[in-house]
Amino acid sequence: MNVNEKSNGDCVSPSQIDASCRVPSLALFGGAALWLVVGLALALIASIKFHQPAFLADCSLLTYGHVQAAANDLILYGFAIPAALGVLLWIFARLSQAELVLPLVPVVAAHIWHVGVLLGTIGILTGNSTGFAWLEYPRLVFPLLLVAFILIAISAVATFGQRKERELYPSHWFLLAALLWFPWIYSTANIFLVVWPVRGVGQAVINWWFVNNLLFVWLALVGLGVAFYFLPKLGGKPLHSRFWAQFAFWTLTLFGTFLGIPQGAPVPAWYPAASALASSLLIIPLIAIAIIFVKTVCGANVSCKGGPFCYIKFGTVAFLLSGLMTIAVSCPHFSQITRFTWFETAQTQLQLFGFFAIVILGGAYEILPRVMGSPLPFPKFIRFQHWCFMLGTLLLVGSLAVSGIQQGLHDYSFDLALPALRISTLGLFFLLLGSLMFAANIFVMTIKWNLALGKTVLAAVIAPLKTAEVKS
Amino acid sequence: MSDESKSCATPSNAEPTATRSTVPMWIFSATLVLIYLGTVYFDHHSGWFSAKVYSPYANVDELELYQPKSGAAAQLARGKQVYEQVCGLCHGVDGLGKPGQAPPLAESEFVTAKGITRLTHIPLLGVTGSIKVQGKDWNMAMAAMGAGLSDSDLASVLTYIRTSWGNHAEVVDADAVKAVRATIKSSAPMNGDQLMKMPE
Amino acid sequence: MKNGFTVFIAALVVLGASWTAFVLGAAVQLGHEKNTTVLNSSDVYPLQRAGDAAFGLDVYRANACAACHTEQVQQSGMACDVVLTSAGKNPTAVSNLVATLKLIGIPEVEADAAADKITALGGKVETRILATGGDIARGWGIRHSVAADYLYDYPVQLGSLRVGPDLAAIGVRLANANVLLQHLYAPKSVTPNSAMPPFKFLFEVRPIGATPSPDALNLPKEFAPASGYEVVPKPEAKQLVGYLLSLRADVPLFEAPFTPPTPATNAPATK
Repeated sequence: MNVNEKSNGDCVSPSQIDASCRVPSLALFGGAALWLVVGLALALIASIKFHQPAFLADCSLLTYGHVQAAANDLILYGFAIPAALGVLLWIFARLSQAELVLPLVPVVAAHIWHVGVLLGTIGILTGNSTGFAWLEYPRLVFPLLLVAFILIAISAVATFGQRKERELYPSHWFLLAALLWFPWIYSTANIFLVVWPVRGVGQAVINWWFVNNLLFVWLALVGLGVAFYFLPKLGGKPLHSRFWAQFAFWTLTLFGTFLGIPQGAPVPAWYPAASALASSLLIIPLIAIAIIFVKTVCGANVSCKGGPFCYIKFGTVAFLLSGLMTIAVSCPHFSQITRFTWFETAQTQLQLFGFFAIVILGGAYEILPRVMGSPLPFPKFIRFQHWCFMLGTLLLVGSLAVSGIQQGLHDYSFDLALPALRISTLGLFFLLLGSLMFAANIFVMTIKWNLALGKTVLAAVIAPLKTAEVKS
Repeated sequence: MSDESKSCATPSNAEPTATRSTVPMWIFSATLVLIYLGTVYFDHHSGWFSAKVYSPYANVDELELYQPKSGAAAQLARGKQVYEQVCGLCHGVDGLGKPGQAPPLAESEFVTAKGITRLTHIPLLGVTGSIKVQGKDWNMAMAAMGAGLSDSDLASVLTYIRTSWGNHAEVVDADAVKAVRATIKSSAPMNGDQLMKMPE
Repeated sequence: MKNGFTVFIAALVVLGASWTAFVLGAAVQLGHEKNTTVLNSSDVYPLQRAGDAAFGLDVYRANACAACHTEQVQQSGMACDVVLTSAGKNPTAVSNLVATLKLIGIPEVEADAAADKITALGGKVETRILATGGDIARGWGIRHSVAADYLYDYPVQLGSLRVGPDLAAIGVRLANANVLLQHLYAPKSVTPNSAMPPFKFLFEVRPIGATPSPDALNLPKEFAPASGYEVVPKPEAKQLVGYLLSLRADVPLFEAPFTPPTPATNAPATK
């Protein structure tokens, strides 16, 4: 915080805004990086079990079902959501051209959140999961995550209220809707499935609705909100355009939220029929997003060199592909092949790693040097990690998709799906390697910052003593 | 540090902006066309929110078309329907009868007998006077409730009562009922003794 | 998008639409589902799981079996078979007619027409309703799964990935508790190329006492423990198998009609 920069009257300088996000960013990104590494390590263990079913099978904590669920939830709740909130807070502060309001609230919330994730993971491994996909954390985790999210949302909305430009930037809509939508779907799912469960197969419908709205809609809202901020910023060209983004936003929220009920599910026909109708309409927001992307990025004379701009571009393209895969698996004819196969997993992994993780990591790499006011300790890792993540995602998603189609065409034969599944282990290995690079950067930064902070505090403690001694 | 009046950001630090190009008409038209086609699809495949229609059935009519209509299952279905209209009022939908009025059909020796001659006479002619069912005496005044039923409906009812409520007797077909009906000359109600004199 | 309040209300409406349909709709329509009766019978369906089967559902959840197994049978279509039950008084004419007609796997309308032609000649037919589709051909079930099959379950574990086979009707397909227990302990001893991990921690390997346990597994040599030891299922394993045996889904219902091969039974929750 350079004192000179404060000279401009009512104006807050970017470096002051960045500095106000420092501690929340470290708290959110630090835990996220740790959970990403742990989650991918568990996913790798789960994947090794395909090569060797008996691997770690005698330990009841580490059965395939436990490890797989814990890995999925760690990557989603442990990494994706808190990291995204870190990026969101910074974007809100920057767009408002104001310092973060209540900066300590997100820090406290981040700790509550990470404790919740830890408890939830222990719960899954010890066999106390709720039994609902992507909602496995036992019931005591629900209030922790909900409160933590709402606290961060309060800080974000308060910062949003400080904005000087009254007109909203497109990212605002996507990110504000995401802040509203997560508490809504998360509390709905927990109340109707865990606290006061509904009877019978209604549980499955609500679970599918929740999974789609979290994994597809929520991730899309946040990921696109972040992408629509960074694409024009890093490309040096304005976003094309406010109205296209508005169109994409409304069609995505209206159609996308109805997806998720699988074809042929054991529920009355209108649920899957409504999802099939909505999935065919999803092509409209995908076209709009493709047009926004192409017209914003093409002609931007910026070479990304494996940096954050590359991350965001790759992520947006991955979202379009993941959207097309979503349409495919919801289409009544194609779904007869892909239903209950790894093809559906491939779509989820593309959405989670190819799109969301890469966009958020790109944002985080852009933000970190700014909020810390110093360059990254290992700047080369940005480029290496980009390659690791691209390669890892392609291997993982490609192999899962191929093995899924093999399964679907051959009576769910495991033997025929196995060769491609073996490659997916390699994909996870590359993702783990990349996530270690992110963790290395953030942890070295955190340690350096703590050391510097320690020195400052020490100096502050010692200084008055000296003056006192002098006086005496 | 900044020349701009609105922002203190340097150009490299500037916040992104968006152009104001409008959205062309074609995408709105495409959306409307897709919504129309989707609604047609929904109309054909949703069963209109019925809780009973599951894929691959498209609607309640198609589901009803595929309910078993012939064979043993259908005969039972018809028998249950006729029984509940004609017999259930006195003998009860649970087949346990009404004290002092109608004897139980569940585990009754008349119902589960090997042959159907005695059993078929009861609905065709009615019963009057005393009759012993499962060792208990009943004073009966049953009208000829089944005289107006077709052979196949009566066979269905008899099949239903012979296979429900724990009864496991053989099914009855319409030809057997027809044969019994052909032997009946009078239309006076039977009494217990007359019934017991008949072959099973 | 200048008037924040209008936008906020619009967003609430747009996001709330799917909530109303899929959460409120499901809670009202499916959450108030009641038990029903088996088609053409007065038997109640489903019965609540009892004893081991009820506890087994929780063992299934705790071990996350649904990560690799589904519990839902898919049906892609339906068909009728017209079966001649009696040739009547004119057998030659009927058999000549039958030879010219397609009677197996036909739509209901065609089945009706064929049945009418045969009965006109004095023959008697039964039209059998069949569910068709990949899962049914594989023997994983006899009809599509419906809400009634899961009425009393909590949590409902439909599963989404078939690493192993579907289990919706495992209690019909593999109605042998000993085989299921052996499969849990050493999957490869039952299915040589099984990819299922062994669940040995649900069993106890202990020295044979004065009298061998009646529950001890009868394992093939290469999977058996050292001599003098026996493998005895823990209560969890027995409960899990009790639950698996209770998975049947084999009765016809109005919403899932078919002609049962044998008289319909109603035994969803009994061993």
